[in-house]
Amino acid sequence: MDIDLTHIAKLSKLKFSEEEKAKLAAELPGIIDYIAKLQEVNTNDIDARAYLTDAVNVFRPDEPVSDETIRQAVVDAFPKKMGDALEVPGVFND
Amino acid sequence: MTATEIVEATLADIKERDGAIGAFLEIYPEDALAQAAKIDEMKKNGDPLPPLAGVPVAIKDNMLYKGHIASSGSKMLAEYTSVYTATVVERLIKAGAIIIGRTNMDEFAMGSSTETSAFQKTKNPWDKKKVPGGSSGGSAAAVGAGFVPASLGSDTGGSIRQPAALCGVVGMKPTYGRVSRYGLTALSSSLDQIGPFTHTVEDAAIILEVIEGKDIHDATSVDLTETTVGELITPSFEGLRVGVPSEYFIDGMDEDVRKLVLDAIDVFRKGGAEIIDIHLPLNPYALPTYYIIQPAEASSNLARFDGMRYGTRAPGELEASYVAARGAGFGPEVKRRIMLGSFILSAGYYDAFYKKGLAVRTAIRKELDDAFKKVDIIIGPTSPSVAWNLGERFDDPIAMYLADIFTTAGNIAGIPGISVPCGFAHDLPVGLQLQAKPFAEATMFRAAAAYQHATTWQKYYPEIA
Repeated sequence: MDIDLTHIAKLSKLKFSEEEKAKLAAELPGIIDYIAKLQEVNTNDIDARAYLTDAVNVFRPDEPVSDETIRQAVVDAFPKKMGDALEVPGVFND
Repeated sequence: MTATEIVEATLADIKERDGAIGAFLEIYPEDALAQAAKIDEMKKNGDPLPPLAGVPVAIKDNMLYKGHIASSGSKMLAEYTSVYTATVVERLIKAGAIIIGRTNMDEFAMGSSTETSAFQKTKNPWDKKKVPGGSSGGSAAAVGAGFVPASLGSDTGGSIRQPAALCGVVGMKPTYGRVSRYGLTALSSSLDQIGPFTHTVEDAAIILEVIEGKDIHDATSVDLTETTVGELITPSFEGLRVGVPSEYFIDGMDEDVRKLVLDAIDVFRKGGAEIIDIHLPLNPYALPTYYIIQPAEASSNLARFDGMRYGTRAPGELEASYVAARGAGFGPEVKRRIMLGSFILSAGYYDAFYKKGLAVRTAIRKELDDAFKKVDIIIGPTSPSVAWNLGERFDDPIAMYLADIFTTAGNIAGIPGISVPCGFAHDLPVGLQLQAKPFAEATMFRAAAAYQHATTWQKYYPEIA
C-alpha cells in the first residue's frame, strides 16, 4: 500500500529525518497489510460500536466543584505565562 | 511488626536488590514512612484498621499521584508533576496501603517488553537477560522479585496479564468499566483498565475490591451490583464449565508452554470441572482489530502532548513548536503508532480501517457473549512463549505485537481476564489465562483460586543475586 508519509506526519504533527522516514516506509506497509486482514470478516449485519458499555449520558449536579490547590498547580506548570494566563505562540499571524 | 518496620524493610530491600532488576523509577521514602507512622498511630490508639493497613504497594508510572512525577515512561513527561491523585491510588491510600514508589513501563504503555521506556530497562527477576514483559513490566517485576506484595498495572492489550505470566505472578484485568480510569494517563480510552499484580488470587481480589466501583470522575465506570468479591471466593471447581478454544493452541507456540497449559486444564478436569471444547473463529482477528483501534485512539489521546500547557515548550511559531516538542519528547514506537493511528483515521481510509475495526470488535464481543452462554470460563495460555532475551524482538514490531495474541480479545470485548502461574518452561514462568463474561470476576476468581489451591506454583520466588 502506498502511504503518503509526509501527509500523515503533518496530521500527526510529527517530523522525521530522511533516515526515520525510510525506516517508517519500510515498516508501516507490513503493519498495514496485517491489520487489513479484517477485510476478510463479514460484518454486514453488525452495528459497529466504539464503546461496549451500556452507559449513556452520565450527568452530575450542576454545582461548581473547585480545588484551589489543583488550579494553582496547573498554573505553576505553564511553561510561559502572563499572570495566571497561559501564553502561547500566535495562532493567527496575519 | 509495625507498619514503619515493614516500610523500612521494604525500602532497604529495594535499595539492595532493585539495582539489578530496575523495577522502580522512583521510590518515596518520606511519604511512605509518613503513611506508615499514621497507621502505627491508629494501631496504638486502638482504632479499627482499614483493610490494607500497612501493605506496601507500587504503582505504574502512568498513574497520577499528586505532587509526584508521573512520566508514563516518556521524556515528554519526565518532569511532569501530577496535579491530582488517580482515584485508584486515592482508594488504596484510604484503605491504609503505603505507596512505595512508581514502576517502569513501556513508553505511554506501548509495548510488550518494557524496553521502550525512555529511562531504563527492567529485567525479568527469573533471568536478568530476559524481558519482564510489558507494558507493566516494572509492576510485574516488583511483585515477582518480592519487593512488594502488590502493585498496580494497566492493561490495554494484555499489559498486565502478559508480564504477570512472564514474571510468574498473578495479574488481572477487570471488566471494562469496573475500575475508574481517572488519573490514568490514557493510551486507548475504550480499552484501558487498571488492575493488580499479586502472588495469590485472593490478594488480587482484595486489591480489586478496594479500587473498583463507580467514580463520578470516570463516566465509563459502572455501578457494581455485587460488592465484596473477596468474600465470594470459595475456591472450588464444582459446577464450573470450562471452555477450551481450539484457536488458543496455535502453530508456532512453544511446545512446553502448550503442555503446561494442557496439564493445567487436567487439574480442572480432575477437580470436577466440566471441560468443553469451543470455537472462537474470530480470535485470529483480535490482534489486527486491536492494532486498528488502539493506535487510532492513542493518536487522539497523545495529541494533548504538545509542550504548550506543561512539559517542555519548544521555541518557534505554533506549528514548529508543536512538531519540535513532540519530536523531542516521543520515542520511535510512540511515533510509529501515532502515524499508524493518524493513517487509520484519515480521509479515504477511515471506513476501511477504523469503522471496519469497530465492526469486527462488535463481532468478536458477540462471539464471546455466545460462548459464555455455554461456558463459565474460557481457558488457555496467557502468552505463546516464555520471556525472550532483551533486545531480541526490539527491531521487529510485528514479532513484538504477537506477544499479545491471546490477551487482546479480552480488551476488545471488555471482558475480565486473569493470569496465574502454571509452571516453568526453559526455567522461566508460564501463565495460565482464565477469562469470564463481563462482571463475572467472582466466578473467575473462584476458578483461579481453586487452581492455585490445587497447585503450588505461586510459592516459588526467584533468587536474585
